[in-house]
Amino acid sequence: MTISLTGGFRAALFASTMIGAVATSSLAFADGDTLTIAIPTFSDQTMVPWAGSGQRKTYLDLVYDYLVYLDADGNTEPGLAESWEMTNEGKTWTFHIRQGVPFSGGWGEVTAADVKYSIERLIADDSRAGPASTMRRVIDTVETPDDYTVVVNLKAPDFLLDKGYFGEAQQLGIVSKAYVEKVGEVAATAAPVGTGPYVVEKSVDGSEIDMALRDDIEPGSHWRVNPEFANVVFRAVPEEATRVAMLRAGEADIAPVGFDSIPGLKDAGIRIVSAEKTWSPVIRLGGVVQTDEKRYNPDVPWSDVRVRQALNYAIDKQTIIDELFQGEGVVANGDTPVQAWNDVPPYPYDPDKAKELLAEAGYPDGFNMTLKTFTTTPGAELPLMAEAAALYWADVGIKATIEPGDWPAIRSEWTSGEALDFAFTHRGFPFPNPENGVEAGFSNRSLFASFTSEELEGMLAALASETDPKARTEKLTGIGQYLRDQAAAVFMVLANEPYGVGPHVGDWGITTSYVYNFDQVGRAD
Amino acid sequence: MPAKLILIRLVEAFFALLLMSLVVFLLSRITGDPVALLLGDNATEADKVAMIRELGLDQSLAAQYWHFLANALQGDFGRSVAAGREPALDLVLSRLPASLSLAAVALASTMLVGIVLGVLAAVTHGTAADVGIRLIALIGQSVPSFWLGIVLIYLVAVQWGLLPTSGYGGPAHYVLPAATLGLFTLAAITRLVRASMLDALGSEYVKLARIKGISEAAVIWRHALSNSLIPVVTFMGTFFATMITGAVVVETVFAWPGIGRLAYESILSRDFPVIQAVVLVITALFILANLLVDFLYLAIDPRMREKG
Repeated sequence: MTISLTGGFRAALFASTMIGAVATSSLAFADGDTLTIAIPTFSDQTMVPWAGSGQRKTYLDLVYDYLVYLDADGNTEPGLAESWEMTNEGKTWTFHIRQGVPFSGGWGEVTAADVKYSIERLIADDSRAGPASTMRRVIDTVETPDDYTVVVNLKAPDFLLDKGYFGEAQQLGIVSKAYVEKVGEVAATAAPVGTGPYVVEKSVDGSEIDMALRDDIEPGSHWRVNPEFANVVFRAVPEEATRVAMLRAGEADIAPVGFDSIPGLKDAGIRIVSAEKTWSPVIRLGGVVQTDEKRYNPDVPWSDVRVRQALNYAIDKQTIIDELFQGEGVVANGDTPVQAWNDVPPYPYDPDKAKELLAEAGYPDGFNMTLKTFTTTPGAELPLMAEAAALYWADVGIKATIEPGDWPAIRSEWTSGEALDFAFTHRGFPFPNPENGVEAGFSNRSLFASFTSEELEGMLAALASETDPKARTEKLTGIGQYLRDQAAAVFMVLANEPYGVGPHVGDWGITTSYVYNFDQVGRAD
Repeated sequence: MPAKLILIRLVEAFFALLLMSLVVFLLSRITGDPVALLLGDNATEADKVAMIRELGLDQSLAAQYWHFLANALQGDFGRSVAAGREPALDLVLSRLPASLSLAAVALASTMLVGIVLGVLAAVTHGTAADVGIRLIALIGQSVPSFWLGIVLIYLVAVQWGLLPTSGYGGPAHYVLPAATLGLFTLAAITRLVRASMLDALGSEYVKLARIKGISEAAVIWRHALSNSLIPVVTFMGTFFATMITGAVVVETVFAWPGIGRLAYESILSRDFPVIQAVVLVITALFILANLLVDFLYLAIDPRMREKG
């Protein structure tokens, strides 16, 4: 007996010693030359722009360059297009391509043919890029009158093509036509060739993407940016608690984190950098597509504008922001953040007014409703936000039954084309071209729209035909005010997206949605 | 006679796979399709119709299933609708080594530790050591793996800095996910071995061995343990199944790029071909593991060979 116990103890001691030795020999902490970024998902981890969703921009933006860039205020700046002009009342755009910008791997310099190929591939029928279907409707033909000029003919005017679909916030990264055609798309997606400052060195499916600065151009000579880290490693870490642990253990330099984690991270000396107003929790009310008989449901209480307004007045959104979002956001005045709506006032918290409006609408005792919700990233707070909203609504007599689900199921139901009878908590994002956002949420053409009206259709048509930029902004502001007054949704929060930032990182910030600037991260002194 | 048994098992396996293919085909389609996710926010009804046609979702369910089954029998599970049209089976097979290696490490280490703990609990029956080991077993079977994984990360990786928090890499990366994945099984093996050992230690042949003057260590580790391991072998298939199903949670917590996480991601994106491929591969693994256990059982238990 004694012998066996002692032997077991020895074996256990030996095993633990070996494990400890193995462990400490292969710990991988972030080092000075490598920037490690932990993100929730790589999405589909394909490496050509048209093969997947915009979520891949987190890493693809280091490999590909765009025709047009955006400054901190959202104004356009030259990219691979040095200049451009819009003619033919918004139906023709001409881009003049920057000369002498080399692709990685010796695949020559960017020409108009590469840009034309990139555009046509992005809008091809088999493209999986998010905006592909809309761009296909807009773009007619692409011409290349010479090696450095690209003329894009549109089927309908688009006055913000540069800022919108062709800007850095979208997916039109410029690829090497010669390379993709030579090696084929499968090889091109495994080893992408672009004009960005980094190349992909290794890609482990679902786990890691390692990038290194290009060695075919002199350090500091990239036309756009001078990165400070020789290597950038992206790691796919779906669990938020694990990303937080990585930050605290020094294994990650940058990672998106939840609002609940902010106090603990700050206590541990991790800096929080917030991307301001980059997403917007909102409660969309189904069935108010008044311009479509099939999708309009006059039986839902909120088909009455007074009820929709009451749903907005009844919720103390600032308290929700303070408690659920750690104060990282402002009360929303629309479903997405739009600069032209800055002067549109949000609904104040006024439960008495809510009760009054409900009584006027014929619901003095409230009503029952279904509120569906799901969780996502960012958006882990949506189910709690649904519960908070339901509690506030209960105070004015509205009984909301919360149904948790997942986004694919809810989205499929929402875009079924049927008359809906439920509401759901949604995660809105600002659109690079805000007019596209308004169309997505509130135009009769959009399958996703939850509120439409003849008056709004007229306003959208007037906006589409306006050529003067100042007048367009005024019209967009008018639409924002109308949507607010009509309470086209329950506008909740224009929220920030917090990132934990470790001690190796110096200057870094996100100023525009969908643009992560990971190639511009500074090193700490 | 074993040949007949093998044949029966193979036929059963085929029908199990066939049934599973139908179940996963239908279940994956209950809560929507990938069309809404693949289309942009500004998509119109016409865009939706075009996408449905492109993905072949405009056909009847029966036609879709027949098409899937006919191709699957030839090894073609279709192409991922989300992941750049990569063949679904290739995606699954590329993730399989990560899951299998984790399951193997977890199973091997839990077998080793579980057997040792089970024996110790039996030989120290009724003492504080026995109670302590039984307590560990109880905790192991009660603690949810997602909670355990997070706690281990914070203690071992963040507080003590001994191991990496997560990720797929060298031997150190295996320790925490394997421990998390294996704890439930460890508890089961410990209890199983303890019970078997208690029976064996009270048996006539063990008494005889002691009378013959064989050392206590040899009695325990050679004579009693060898017979006590038969029930453990019987449950190997179940243990393996536990490892693979538990991988969905563990691989998510530890950012481990295996088929568990692929299953989770493909369900979220309603990537039907990948869901079907991953579930059928997991089912095939279960069946294969159980077949191996059956054959192993035949090999180690003379009574089974005699029964045929």
